Amino acid sequence: MTKMLYTLKKEFLLITRDIHAVTVLFVMPAVFIMIMSLAMRDLFDLHHAVSIDVLAVNRDTGKRSEAFFKAMKEIPAFTFHFLDRDADAEKAKEQMLTRDVKFALIIEENFSTFVVKEKGEKGEKGEKEGKPLELLVDPSVNVQTQMVLRSALDGKLAQLRGDAFIDSIGGFLDSAGIDKEKLKAAEESQVAVHYIYKGGRSFKIPSAVQQSVPAWLVFSMFFIVIPLSNTFISERGQGTLMRLKSMNVSRFALITGKMVPYLFINAIQVIMMIAIGVLVVPFFGGTALTLGDSLGGLVLISASVSFCAISLALLIASVAGTTEQATTIGGVLNIIFGALGGIMVPKFVMPGFMQALAIASPMSWGLEGFLDIFLRSGSASDVLPESLSLFILGGVMLTLTMILLRRQKEV
Amino acid sequence: MIEIRNLCKSYNRKTVLDNVNISVRRGSIMGLLGPNGAGKTTLISILTGVIGKDSGNITVGGIDLDREAGRIQSMCSYVPQTLAFYARLSACENLEYFGSLWGLKGKKLKERMEFCIDAGSMQAFVDKRVDTFSGGMKRRLNLAIGLLNEPEILYLDEPTVGVDAQSRNYILETIRKINRERKTTIIYTSHYMDEIEQVSDEIAVIDEGRIILHDEKQAILTRADAVLIRVGQMGEDAVNELQPCEGVRIEKERIHIKRDEHLSENMAAVFAVFHDRGVRVDDVVFGHKTLEELFLKLTNDRLRD
Repeated sequence: MTKMLYTLKKEFLLITRDIHAVTVLFVMPAVFIMIMSLAMRDLFDLHHAVSIDVLAVNRDTGKRSEAFFKAMKEIPAFTFHFLDRDADAEKAKEQMLTRDVKFALIIEENFSTFVVKEKGEKGEKGEKEGKPLELLVDPSVNVQTQMVLRSALDGKLAQLRGDAFIDSIGGFLDSAGIDKEKLKAAEESQVAVHYIYKGGRSFKIPSAVQQSVPAWLVFSMFFIVIPLSNTFISERGQGTLMRLKSMNVSRFALITGKMVPYLFINAIQVIMMIAIGVLVVPFFGGTALTLGDSLGGLVLISASVSFCAISLALLIASVAGTTEQATTIGGVLNIIFGALGGIMVPKFVMPGFMQALAIASPMSWGLEGFLDIFLRSGSASDVLPESLSLFILGGVMLTLTMILLRRQKEV
Repeated sequence: MIEIRNLCKSYNRKTVLDNVNISVRRGSIMGLLGPNGAGKTTLISILTGVIGKDSGNITVGGIDLDREAGRIQSMCSYVPQTLAFYARLSACENLEYFGSLWGLKGKKLKERMEFCIDAGSMQAFVDKRVDTFSGGMKRRLNLAIGLLNEPEILYLDEPTVGVDAQSRNYILETIRKINRERKTTIIYTSHYMDEIEQVSDEIAVIDEGRIILHDEKQAILTRADAVLIRVGQMGEDAVNELQPCEGVRIEKERIHIKRDEHLSENMAAVFAVFHDRGVRVDDVVFGHKTLEELFLKLTNDRLRD
């Protein structure tokens, strides 16, 4: 027990006095959590929805376009900035570039006419007229955002046309005793949204911090491969392992002496990153992280991620010849695991085949486990499949490490 | 203290130790010499239990290494050639950690740490981080860690590599002191012949996995096959006169005369030349040889890579 306490003390001192290790294990994930939680806040949080600027040119002189804009202003996601009535598409384009605005909407002269005419009806001159709305889009805007604006425009236009139709049959409605204004009243959304949780809780709204903390926590826990493998390789290169072996310290004790301190270091990471989510992110205007209901589940998934990361570190240390090699192998593997496992890009935005490929990354298993706890209010039994997978993979890597070390006869 | 019989070890079908037989007296300092790749480190690694042997028998203090390796390891300490400790820890933290691995704790650990700090003369910098130490300070710490368990046998693998003359002298003094006061048996490897000559009681030379010489230091250094005459400056004419003499070898101001049946004739001839040419004789040593000369002769002076 005394030996293990001094080993723990030694490893803690080595880590805390290594500025690179502290940066990689604690500073980097803390900064990532802060940045990602605040940057993606509006993607998840309805109360802080971002408003996208849209330049608007109203070339229509009719009343319908005024009504259209009034309706559009009710959509909180967009803010319209009007240009002169005589501005053409070229002028709108120039303003988009100058003011760095992603959208410009041109309401054509035929807008009011279009609203009241019947479907398929030709124009005054008998030919088919152009579309009443023209949308200029910066190519950097993603398709999803374009679709949101287009749907909003189409929806409002359809409503205007419906209102115009109601006005056109006003006489019939009056004689039938039907209130025209009631028919025109804007429909509330008829789609009810419910978030699905594994546990009993149902009041939690997914937020950026709920997504960021698990993702960057798993990423940082795996980054333990760099300091751990470097320490191990340095000990081997400096003859410290040989000295320890001459002191009758067994291979098992050496490996345990590495695993236990780093399990503690991973545990500190978990506590610290959760604390940042709960206490620091709200201080900067983000939503506070809310914890799940299962402490047991949190401990189980944390321990399994930690075991897997430490085993990977030991395997890298036994394969790599130098600290430079270990840093490169560990760093590259972590980035690939992170990209593949949904750390950098959430899995739900990936295409199907990439989501299938994500299963190859142990970070993905860990992330799913943490999301089960933080987002879906899961219990220990819910994270058991991910935890077991991580423990099994860790066990396989640890066995390989022992075989390699025995062959090398250095430890 | 240490008995090695018929010890063999191979790596990848290459014989590294070939039927090694050697005994080391209790309380003696044995200097182990050998060119690079001769088998010194392998021999020490086997003795310290770091690697296994292929065959042979080793007993330490009457204990069989095969049967009670752990017990033997607790009696020994190994100070590697490399600086085998943690540079980001202080000297004190290093001693504390390695001491705890020897099972020391509480008052006993403190006592042993104090002894080692004193032995390494590290009082002034014991709480400083090791990566701020000079080469000599690091070497002293490396040695001090090896003294934590009060070893009966101390294996020192080139303990003075890369240090200044003062630290080197201090380390050698410390080694002698430990041997004298605690009767610690010490196996000492070094490439510095003068160090071995200075500290050893017995000397063993290993080459290509075989012990080719092992004896008391004095016996080795006096069991020579030449008479050495050290002279003052010798002119070219004197050199030209001596060179044709069979059994006479000239090395600057040192004349070696082979000890064979022609010794008296050769001595007479050499001294006649010295008299005629006015060469000053500084010293005459019967049967003396430096360790380096002996070592190079025994191991052939070809390069070992």
